[in-house]
Amino acid sequence: MLKWIIGIVVIALAVAALWWSGWLGKITPSQTATSTPETSQTPQAQAPTNGMSASNDASDAAIAQDTTAIDAQLTGLTQDSASVDSSLNDKSVQ
Amino acid sequence: MILKRLSFIVSLMLGLATLTPAFALAQVGATVTGSTTVSVTANLTVNDTKARDRGDKEVDRRIAALNDLNTRIQQMQRVSDAFKQSISATIAANITNLTALKAKIDADTDSATLKADLKSITEAYRIHVLIMPQGRIAAAADRVAVIVNMMGTLGSKLQARVQAAGQAGNDVTTVNALLIDMSAKLTDAQTKAQAAITVSATLQPDGGDKTKMDANNAALKEARADLVAAQKDLADARKDAGQIVAGLAKFNVNANASSTTQTP
Repeated sequence: MLKWIIGIVVIALAVAALWWSGWLGKITPSQTATSTPETSQTPQAQAPTNGMSASNDASDAAIAQDTTAIDAQLTGLTQDSASVDSSLNDKSVQ
Repeated sequence: MILKRLSFIVSLMLGLATLTPAFALAQVGATVTGSTTVSVTANLTVNDTKARDRGDKEVDRRIAALNDLNTRIQQMQRVSDAFKQSISATIAANITNLTALKAKIDADTDSATLKADLKSITEAYRIHVLIMPQGRIAAAADRVAVIVNMMGTLGSKLQARVQAAGQAGNDVTTVNALLIDMSAKLTDAQTKAQAAITVSATLQPDGGDKTKMDANNAALKEARADLVAAQKDLADARKDAGQIVAGLAKFNVNANASSTTQTP
């Protein structure tokens, strides 16, 4: 019986020594790493929309493209404003 | 958050306007005999037909307006897909209700029921007096936000170019002032667009209450004024951008600069 107790204590001490040395700690992360896929933390560059040029392009051509795209949206806003007016001034035919 | 509230409120308002079909049982007087009766029936039938045609046109016009609004809502860029789907579902429900109302009007065969149904077009379906302006104001405000974002990107590029021009020894005092003004106009446009949404999004149908109707009209006009101001801000900012570009053209600097975008 005493031999069993001594054996268990020895094994426990051996495991504790391994953990203390960091050897077990190196295994655990690598095991979990295989089951947890990493996600990229790099932000994706937003693609230009509405006819705009690349956001980091300040060339004359890019600025001209951007102003054209903005003018198109301003025209759209004029139409939106007309629709607001129309909806506010609507009269029933009844 | 405000737009979600708008969606909820619009859904609630339109959900209250549920059509209750009650098809008339009477038949058109084709089998009626007797000169006096025939004369009255024929007179009523002509009037009923005219009224029905007007009602059909009114319903068709509103359905077309709803479809048009739905198309515009789907084009909104600064709101979530969930918001757009919510509005779309609300609009679809109203189209269904209006279609059912039109079918009922077409099936009505007595003057009293027909008149009641025609009246319900105006009284129960407050689409054009509140919901349509709300949707249109939201769409216009969304457009303002889109343009502010685009002009913000352009402003960053122009700023980079102005900075390069200054470093090259040019006097950039004037274009810098224009840049500052452009930025201020964009900020104000954004504020005005948000105000338009805030003042109009929480309105509820007047339910025939004139005081409430007047308050709604005043709020919608206020939102409209905000949008007009925002539109003017954007026009001024665009003018500033044009003047900056013209000013840069006079400088002797590298025209292939790059910039770091700062989205407003």
